[in-house]
Amino acid sequence: MPREAKAVRTVDLLGVFWRSFFLQASWSYDRMQSLGFSFALIPVLRRLYGSGEEFSKRLAVHMEYFNTQPYFASFILGAAARLEEDRAAGAAADPAEMKKSLMAPLGAVGDSFFWGSLKPLAATAAVAVILSGAWWAPLLFLGLYNAFHVGLRWSLLLEGYRSRGDVVALMARYSFTRLARHFKMMTLSIIGVVAGTFPKWGPWQTDVPALSGLMVAVLGLASATALLALLRIGGTPVRLMIALAALCLGLELGGIF
Amino acid sequence: MHGFDGHMLLSIMLAAVVGGLIGLDRTALGQFMVSQPIVAGPLTGWVLGDPVAGLIIGGTLELIWVLDMPVGTFVPADSTVATVAATAIVVLGSGGAADPSVVGFGLLLTVLMAPASRLADQLMRQRNAQIPELALSPAGLPTEGRVAFWHIAGLLVFFLKSFIQCLVMIPAGIAAVSLFLRAPEALHRAMNLYVHVLPLLGIASAAGKLATSALDRRLVIGFLIGAVLVTALRLPVGIGVALAAVAAWFEGRSHAA
Repeated sequence: MPREAKAVRTVDLLGVFWRSFFLQASWSYDRMQSLGFSFALIPVLRRLYGSGEEFSKRLAVHMEYFNTQPYFASFILGAAARLEEDRAAGAAADPAEMKKSLMAPLGAVGDSFFWGSLKPLAATAAVAVILSGAWWAPLLFLGLYNAFHVGLRWSLLLEGYRSRGDVVALMARYSFTRLARHFKMMTLSIIGVVAGTFPKWGPWQTDVPALSGLMVAVLGLASATALLALLRIGGTPVRLMIALAALCLGLELGGIF
Repeated sequence: MHGFDGHMLLSIMLAAVVGGLIGLDRTALGQFMVSQPIVAGPLTGWVLGDPVAGLIIGGTLELIWVLDMPVGTFVPADSTVATVAATAIVVLGSGGAADPSVVGFGLLLTVLMAPASRLADQLMRQRNAQIPELALSPAGLPTEGRVAFWHIAGLLVFFLKSFIQCLVMIPAGIAAVSLFLRAPEALHRAMNLYVHVLPLLGIASAAGKLATSALDRRLVIGFLIGAVLVTALRLPVGIGVALAAVAAWFEGRSHAA
């Protein structure tokens, strides 16, 4: 006999969305986001299974090892909510298998898109402005980044719920890989602007004449290129920070500056 | 330097609380990027009375660490604690608007803080492995109350990790600044130079992870826009950034076509 169908409501998905911001509150090396995933899914599980033993059993299923890019976890949370809904209605749905198959590929795409392209783009744009002394640059950064981040988290949750975790349709719709490539190129170009405005950096800088400004900018780019070469042959930012401090001291003691 | 009087201790405590709260955003809560150096620096500086020092420290560290990504189990250097602590050290150690040389010295101190905070982060994530077990009832099944309580308790662990680090690093750093203020003039001039050239390492660090060659054409396009239009012809930096981003976007599209 088919079970009485219980449906997930919008308010449950809103609850999952809110809780998804706490996904990594207890992040650990061995289970990573497992507890966070089960915590986020509680509004849906409570709706479907009440608060009895079945609820606890389903909660335990979602406490298994889980790790993906935290924003893209919303897609898997949405898909898990839908598959739990199907399962509660008597269908042979397996949310645990779906989680296992999606977490690694979505983690790779998410890391590349958010950490590797969108964050650097927003951050370097803000740094370019901040180095000229503009106080509002951090707000620019937060606005640019979170307009994408929060909106996409909600969209991914709904998309996961509607599609039951159809990642192919998701990739076709959003073109994350293409966007990431474009964002990285834009970031690189903005880093070029930062290098080109080297003579104007900082609130302590005074106006520089155009010609000497250009010369200082070229000198700055040449120095950055030399540092880049050192990084590529095994230097680390920490070591180069120390080396640069020693170089500045050497230049001062040598009377060059 | 005003010594560790009551007001100073209160300010250190305030900075540590700010560090603990901002640090939550890094992994455990939301990830709205408030924890990024470009926001954390000026925010800490604003709370303590010198947002300019925070802007320079945050902007510089943002460039250096922007592409140090949390992929899989890799935990990057904790640029949040380093930024908050360095800003607090510089502002409180100066006892007013910070001199550029003190800002440079504060930035140099982060070479000790970033690796130490990474280690603290790793230790805490190992200890967090116990949390999922605590969420189980004596019968071996999780309950809603236990999952919610222990998962959210993880926030306290993340808060304390940053809070305690700030509480240790800031007084030690202030003591170092008081020694620096009595150091020979050459050291001050060297740190003055250091604060102005350190963003070049940021450029190298960020470009090194995105560029295919030292003179990548996107980097050169951005540099020409920055050097010629912004530095020489005095166009606002924001317009230069927008032009560079648009140029890279269209360059990328035509290249793909």
